[in-house]
Amino acid sequence: MTDTATAALPIDLGNGPFAVTTRELARRFGSTRALDGLDLQVPEGAVYVLVGPNGAGKSTLIRTLMGLVRYQDGAVSVLGRDPADRGAEVRAGIGYVPEDYRVGYSWMTVGRLLEHQAVYHPSWDAEYARELRARYGIDPGRKCHALSKGQSRRVQLVTALAHRPPLLLLDEPTDGLDHVVRDETLSILSEYLADSPTTVVISTHRVYEVEPLVDHVGVLSEGRLLGQLPRDDLYGGLLRYWADVPEGWTGPGELPGRVVRRSGAARAIEWTVWGDRDAVTRGLSQAGAAVREVAPLSVDEAALALLSGREAT
Amino acid sequence: MKIRLSHADGRPLYVQIMDAVRSGLVRGSLRPEDPLPSVRDLSSSLRVNPRTVSQAYAALERDGVVQVRHGKGTFVAPGVRPDEKERPRLAREVARRALADASRHGLGLADLMTALREVEGGSLHGDGSKEDGR
Repeated sequence: MTDTATAALPIDLGNGPFAVTTRELARRFGSTRALDGLDLQVPEGAVYVLVGPNGAGKSTLIRTLMGLVRYQDGAVSVLGRDPADRGAEVRAGIGYVPEDYRVGYSWMTVGRLLEHQAVYHPSWDAEYARELRARYGIDPGRKCHALSKGQSRRVQLVTALAHRPPLLLLDEPTDGLDHVVRDETLSILSEYLADSPTTVVISTHRVYEVEPLVDHVGVLSEGRLLGQLPRDDLYGGLLRYWADVPEGWTGPGELPGRVVRRSGAARAIEWTVWGDRDAVTRGLSQAGAAVREVAPLSVDEAALALLSGREAT
Repeated sequence: MKIRLSHADGRPLYVQIMDAVRSGLVRGSLRPEDPLPSVRDLSSSLRVNPRTVSQAYAALERDGVVQVRHGKGTFVAPGVRPDEKERPRLAREVARRALADASRHGLGLADLMTALREVEGGSLHGDGSKEDGR
């Protein structure tokens, strides 16, 4: 089964160009379907956030794009290559922050680790690496095994960015970072995007932390996409309607939109609907509801509505 | 130029940036020919996607509020008359939000107008009621 059959929201982003695509991607671990017919489309230059609960398949997907997990069915293209047979070439063009915060090379100092990374990346920008290290307050003399979780994350971000890759795959990049460092990271990423054409895929279950950077959203659940669309489309098309309704109101027989989530009390409803704002408002009004307010949802709220609406049906 | 973005605001970030430029003009902190921050600097300080800032600047340019001069940056357009256009425009935007807020509470235009006059009168004459004390 592909995503089109189950998605509540659109998942087709058209003709591209795309930096990353998967087609009916599948991967099982034992009897668990980690990725279940996934059609990912990441436009070139997009900042694409992959939202979903723990276990939705986010990390498996990112590791598959890196060529670190073998897929069993479907097709994958990352910067025009299949990571399954050209993994090293694919990885050379990617800045990767893995879910696991341990940096490895426990015996090395951080300074030595960065030199080590530089050797593997001909495009390594040593001056930029020093600048990032300074902004993050990383001590180059510190041993890797003595890094805290937050310090490791910062070192991982430096190694991901300093070779100036055209594609960033960031798996829970703000995990373990305190408020100040998280804020600095957003600033660093903003500048990175302004300096060179870059495609970014961020996986997170805390979207609000990266939301101001995001322009595309994919909501993942049980290895499938529930929606994949530009942030602005989500903002304009998925809306929450508050309305006063008569006692015992059962709703319109038919609404020109898809109701993603229904909630509210006896005489006041709160519906989340995907559809044209005016048409949905008219539909509700004609059915006897007095629409009080219509408002867009944050990416976080939208993801929650999609995920919980799904559980309710 | 002071910009505060609110993610609870309900309006797209680029619209909030546009309004911040407009209110700078209305208050006089921004004047014709003044340079605006570069896309890189503004997106970095606001922690937003550079495209959001570009989108705001492009929309302001279409409205004739700013000029993008290639290789030099973005400037407030020389012919901008804030009092003629930007002031009423900003006022309409504030009014729209006030009406939406009123409607959410079940109030209409008449309620809002009455309350606005009362509150304004109260604060002008200093009647000391607590809700005007801000």
